[in-house]
Amino acid sequence: MKYEFSEEDLKEIDAIKAKYPEVMPATLPVLWLAQNKFGHVNPEVQRLVASTLGLPEAHVHGVVTFYTQYYEEEKGTYVLDVCTCLTCQLCGGYEMLEYFEEKLGIKQGETTPDGRFTLKEVECLGACGYAPMMQVSNETYVNNLTKEKVDKLLDDLRQDKKPEHEKVGMPQRKNI
Amino acid sequence: MPEIFIDGQRYEFEGEHRVLQFIQDLGKEVPFFCYHPAMSAPANCRQCFVKAGQYVKDRETGEYELDEEGNRTIRWFPKLQTSCNLQMVDGMVIHTQETDEQVARAQKDTLEFLLINHPLDCPICDQAGECPLQIQTYKYGPEGSRFEVKKVHRPKRVRLGPRVILDAERCINCTRCVRFTDEISKSHQLTIVQRGDNNFPITAPGREFDDPYSLNTVDICPVGALTAADFRFKARVWEMNQTPSIDMTNGKGTNIDLWTRDNIVLRITPRYNKEVNDHWMPDEARTAYTLFNENRISRPLQKLDGEQVLSSWNNAYATLMEQLEEVKPAEVLLVGSPHASVEENYALAKFANLNGYRKPVFLRNEEKGKADGFLLTDDLAPNTNGCILLGFDELTPAEFSAEAEKAGLIILVHDDFISREVLTAGQLDGKYTVIFASNHTKTTKAADLVIPVTTAAEHAASYVNVEGRIQRTFRAKETKYNKRRLDMEMSEGRLDRYGTNFDNWVNEDNKIDCLPLWTFISNLTGYMGTEITLEDGRLIMSEIASTIDAFNGVSYAKMDENSGIQLDTEKVSKKVES
Ligand code: SF4
Ligand code: FES
Ligand code: FES
Repeated sequence: MKYEFSEEDLKEIDAIKAKYPEVMPATLPVLWLAQNKFGHVNPEVQRLVASTLGLPEAHVHGVVTFYTQYYEEEKGTYVLDVCTCLTCQLCGGYEMLEYFEEKLGIKQGETTPDGRFTLKEVECLGACGYAPMMQVSNETYVNNLTKEKVDKLLDDLRQDKKPEHEKVGMPQRKNI
Repeated sequence: MPEIFIDGQRYEFEGEHRVLQFIQDLGKEVPFFCYHPAMSAPANCRQCFVKAGQYVKDRETGEYELDEEGNRTIRWFPKLQTSCNLQMVDGMVIHTQETDEQVARAQKDTLEFLLINHPLDCPICDQAGECPLQIQTYKYGPEGSRFEVKKVHRPKRVRLGPRVILDAERCINCTRCVRFTDEISKSHQLTIVQRGDNNFPITAPGREFDDPYSLNTVDICPVGALTAADFRFKARVWEMNQTPSIDMTNGKGTNIDLWTRDNIVLRITPRYNKEVNDHWMPDEARTAYTLFNENRISRPLQKLDGEQVLSSWNNAYATLMEQLEEVKPAEVLLVGSPHASVEENYALAKFANLNGYRKPVFLRNEEKGKADGFLLTDDLAPNTNGCILLGFDELTPAEFSAEAEKAGLIILVHDDFISREVLTAGQLDGKYTVIFASNHTKTTKAADLVIPVTTAAEHAASYVNVEGRIQRTFRAKETKYNKRRLDMEMSEGRLDRYGTNFDNWVNEDNKIDCLPLWTFISNLTGYMGTEITLEDGRLIMSEIASTIDAFNGVSYAKMDENSGIQLDTEKVSKKVES
């Protein structure tokens, strides 16, 4: 497959570039644009981004590998990022990850043969208060994971029903 | 004048300075890894911590505020500072690890962190012995590690490019290699990938680290993470001798060090000279180490019945004398060489003069388009300007070819004219051809008499670079005729000092049976009865300096003191574009 930006994309990229005094900071948003378009930023897409922005390929590659949110290869339709960083780890993050592995029959980092799910182990997503937690395809968080919640999530996603944003209240002081 | 107080000592300074460099320039030390004087200072290794503050002055009176004991009060910056990127300001107070417990402790703890995932494989690591991480851990580091869990593993033996190999586990992510490709060679080929304890430098996927200056990253890597593909595991640093020299593969005159063990040159590294090459050298100049070891001519060769055979020195002198007598002086064509030193060319000129031969001529050896605006020039020879300053006539290949046809006896030095297609072997048929050379080439194969001469690794001699800077080499390798232990100018390593000729790591064959060109000429004139004395490079240079204007005031002592001398550029050809 040949990866190319359309006229429209290029216009959008110019608009992104115009926001910054230099080109380098445009790397992140343009990578997003590319990932939204192609579904991933594999080495070929990285090269496309580099040549479009006139930046070194090595630099773009470094940025891509720094963030787990950029996909370095083609992923499943849904990417399940399960947090196993300290707080989630202590609250059962590994059990959740292992439950996913068992249910999907794949290991973390792998994609199901039908191309529907990719399972990933990620570092802290900044939602330690709702540990153990996960994120679906760089979008919605699913908090306070339990096996039941995982079962439901997978069933829903099989029918392309994406999880809703879940409001988790925090205990507040009453007597002020 | 602005002042700064370092460990209780007052120093004055002018202009902009960073604390770390200033401390180093004073000859003192603060440990560091990521800082490099030629590149930006991102302050990411955190090893160069110092405590910094400012004496408090009363704004109105301008007097220093004193504490109860009468000492000036210091307002410390809230945290320890990285000295590499700390700009000096008037009245700054710095405490280093020498006087401050907290600083010493911080440096020790930083080292403990740096070593957490480090494999500690110094016994098999090429960098051991010249490794800042090893040295600084020894001096400032912790006794042991408190880290008891499994180390993080990273890729090993990664071929970054044709010449550089990465061991990511040893890397401390100082980013020197990345900054080198960004700021110095500008190939932008490297980046740091991944994050946290997984990160390491690499190229973009599917790309090679084939930067023509890639091996400089091996030199500046403060650990053993980057190694040179063709030097890995060849020698321990402490077994080798390090001898200053000059690059022979380009007219730039890059300053280098030759690293030898048992008279084999094992590697070449750049030597700092801010006038010529700063800290750097091109990769291709490093591969030249093989020229000193391989394919060498040892003992004179003589053509008998169309076949070259080993001869003796006596035979060589006698034969050359006979042959010279057979031709008229006007038929002798002496060809000097930009590949030979000033001293060698001078010896040739003196010999010509003495016998009434025509002054030597010479040809440039250039490759158009080679120049890269950095350390490579079009000139492939180290001493083109030396020949010009000695007043040699420069010939074009066509002119030379015509002259060669007319000559009865030709004396060449080094130049491989046949491979360069300046001459054909056929053109040399029927005339007696003598060549002074160090390596076998197509041209030496065609010659009637081959006199093996020393290379830049075996003699001390001078070369004038494209900018007209005269610089010299030192003897790094012994020949059959000199002894390291008796030669006060040769460096001596442990193996030389404690070994004997009967040790199994000493190989006599590594010493080449060759002479400096000037020694051969001296001996020859002795036999011819017109004795001239050309003893060694140093004396020849003082003779040159007193007889040839362009070299006025040049001496080895002066060259050594100033890392070379810039000659009067008026007299130097500007034809060679750098
Ligand atoms: S490979 Fe060496 S120079 Fe490069 S970042 Fe690692 S330690 Fe620094
Ligand atoms: S540790 Fe999982 S969100 Fe912070
Ligand atoms: S040398 Fe200052 S932080 Fe590395």
